[in-house]
Amino acid sequence: MNRLWWTQIKAVIRLELKKTFFAKRGLWIYVVAALPVLLFIAYAVAMSNQQHRTARIARQGDRPLSYQDLHAVKPGMTKQEVTAILGKPPLNFHWTERRPTGPGAFDEIQHEDYQYSDGQNDLYVGFTDGKVQSINIHEGYNLGEDAVMFAGVFQFFFLRLAIFFGCLGIFMNLFRGEILDRSLHFYFLSPVRREVLMAGKFLAGLLATCTIFVTSEILQTLAFLWHFNPQTRDVYLYHHHGLEHAAIYLGVTVLACIGYGAFFLVAGMLFRNPIIPAAAILIWEGINPFLPALLKQFSVIYYLKSLCPVEIPVSPGTPGLFALLISNADPVSAPLAIVGILVVACIALFVSSVQVRRMEINYTTE
Amino acid sequence: MNDRIIFEDVSKFYGEILGVNRVNLSIPPGITSLVGPNGSGKTTLMNLMTGLVKPSRGRIQVLGLGTDDSENLFKIVGYSTQFDAFPRGLTGFQFIYSYLCLSGITSQEAERTAWEAIQRVNLVDAASRKVAAYSKGMRQRIRLAQALAHNPKVLVLDEPLNGLDPLARAEMIALFRASAAQGCYVIISSHILHEVDVISDQVILLSNGYVVAEGQIQTVRNEIQEHPTQILIRCDRPRELAAKLFESEYMIEASIHNDGRGLLLKTKDADRFYLALNQLALNGIQIESIAPADDDVLSVYEYLIGNEEVVR
Repeated sequence: MNRLWWTQIKAVIRLELKKTFFAKRGLWIYVVAALPVLLFIAYAVAMSNQQHRTARIARQGDRPLSYQDLHAVKPGMTKQEVTAILGKPPLNFHWTERRPTGPGAFDEIQHEDYQYSDGQNDLYVGFTDGKVQSINIHEGYNLGEDAVMFAGVFQFFFLRLAIFFGCLGIFMNLFRGEILDRSLHFYFLSPVRREVLMAGKFLAGLLATCTIFVTSEILQTLAFLWHFNPQTRDVYLYHHHGLEHAAIYLGVTVLACIGYGAFFLVAGMLFRNPIIPAAAILIWEGINPFLPALLKQFSVIYYLKSLCPVEIPVSPGTPGLFALLISNADPVSAPLAIVGILVVACIALFVSSVQVRRMEINYTTE
Repeated sequence: MNDRIIFEDVSKFYGEILGVNRVNLSIPPGITSLVGPNGSGKTTLMNLMTGLVKPSRGRIQVLGLGTDDSENLFKIVGYSTQFDAFPRGLTGFQFIYSYLCLSGITSQEAERTAWEAIQRVNLVDAASRKVAAYSKGMRQRIRLAQALAHNPKVLVLDEPLNGLDPLARAEMIALFRASAAQGCYVIISSHILHEVDVISDQVILLSNGYVVAEGQIQTVRNEIQEHPTQILIRCDRPRELAAKLFESEYMIEASIHNDGRGLLLKTKDADRFYLALNQLALNGIQIESIAPADDDVLSVYEYLIGNEEVVR
């Protein structure tokens, strides 16, 4: 690249970054980016409280229990047999059920629940008339479930909504915002090639969105890991691919910013009203699973879904259309997905460069 | 030609609305004023010249450069627009400095050049204030500083004297003259005709998107045949002079000046009238001065365009 162009791109980035990061009309983007972080903080707080409660119950027990001890209880055991294995329950509840057997006649059935804990996992044992009727083990840490939950928030909120609308807010305003402010002529009167200006603005938008959403993604991961104890955290990060997944999520976030950014940059030049392209792109991305194979390739979410490290399982009862949205029936390999998204972005940037050369300053028509 | 600003059969339409139509111009160095009422196409012509709008038809060359070559064009062109909006949050200094940085020069050079430009428009004291807080006159001056900052060969100034106080106007006019004297092309649009008259080397008169006339004022005036040329002769005995002058076949009308010490004449051929005047025996009438009375922009404007929106 021409050295002069690079200097000019840096000058454009410096000017744009200040506007992008501190624009009042862009404050909502920070809120959208912060929402999943707040969600995971709330989850971590709830889980911490749960763990404290579990640990307290464990301390109140007759003796320390292991995970295997919790699994030793079987249906049909008597209270004495359970107490012999696990000791006196730290928490127990009982109530009497009056079950009608005829006019004015009732049977009284005695119910009792015992709760035990090994410090991390809770065991709920339900007795009916002195015999074990129900056994429920609530596991403190379920790395598989937690990973799926994180993947769900990432795919369905962060990618499809937060990054999508964040990129819309930033990239569509790179040119459209200046036209509305009637200040675009400032750039058009400078000795800068229009394509160089477009590249500078795109990179500024990319830097801003990547900073905001990568920071959000890092904070989400930290909040998500917060409630794990150090041993579980190590297991998750190093033996459960947690670290690898976190890196992939960051990469997907950057690629999403590139893909959606390029789309919205060109949309901001072609449309006056952002609602129309936003709705069109949102629908296009939404109907991607139903599109023919060729058309699928002109979508950002198609490649991003292929790159996501955790597949969200489709429950048997999930409605067909929703199941199709969740599943990735036709995934591409990671290298192909990365190349695909970059090619789609390059096509959008090429259209932008053609469009920026045609642009005229005619504020009165806006 | 690489030493002119050339418009070749240029038209610009905004949808159904005419901007300018069939404009052919060849603008030489010096101060050229675009004169015309609102909507006549002055700003469109300037925007076309600087590539801010594209011609619907025709070709424009600025000293040999096409207007779509912004990278090279704005190395030699500075444009002070009428748009009263600035990038958000910038001080006057930052506005000029950022503009210069965009041209790719080093930050030290941009800083030095920015201060020089700010000094030229006398805005040093306000340079560290936000442009948004500037008065209209200060915003006008900072736009001029932006246009001047990189010492362009072509200065395009859309209503550059608007909002300026008399002292600032005089300073700016001196600045434009100095630039023109150095061989620059200074293109000015203005409503204030007496200032146009004072500063212009040539004028381009526009009406409803058409170039009505162009060239030096006197040349344009001489081409307006349907309006006789007016000449004011200051003398001690205007009545006797009028009687004598009616002997000339070129004089159409004469009236005594209000102060009784001058004669306002109308003639269809000024050159022949002056020759005839020399040949008349004036019988000792003391003539103090002879001067054309309507070869200024104001008169030419009124003859060609009408007197709407004329600012004297």
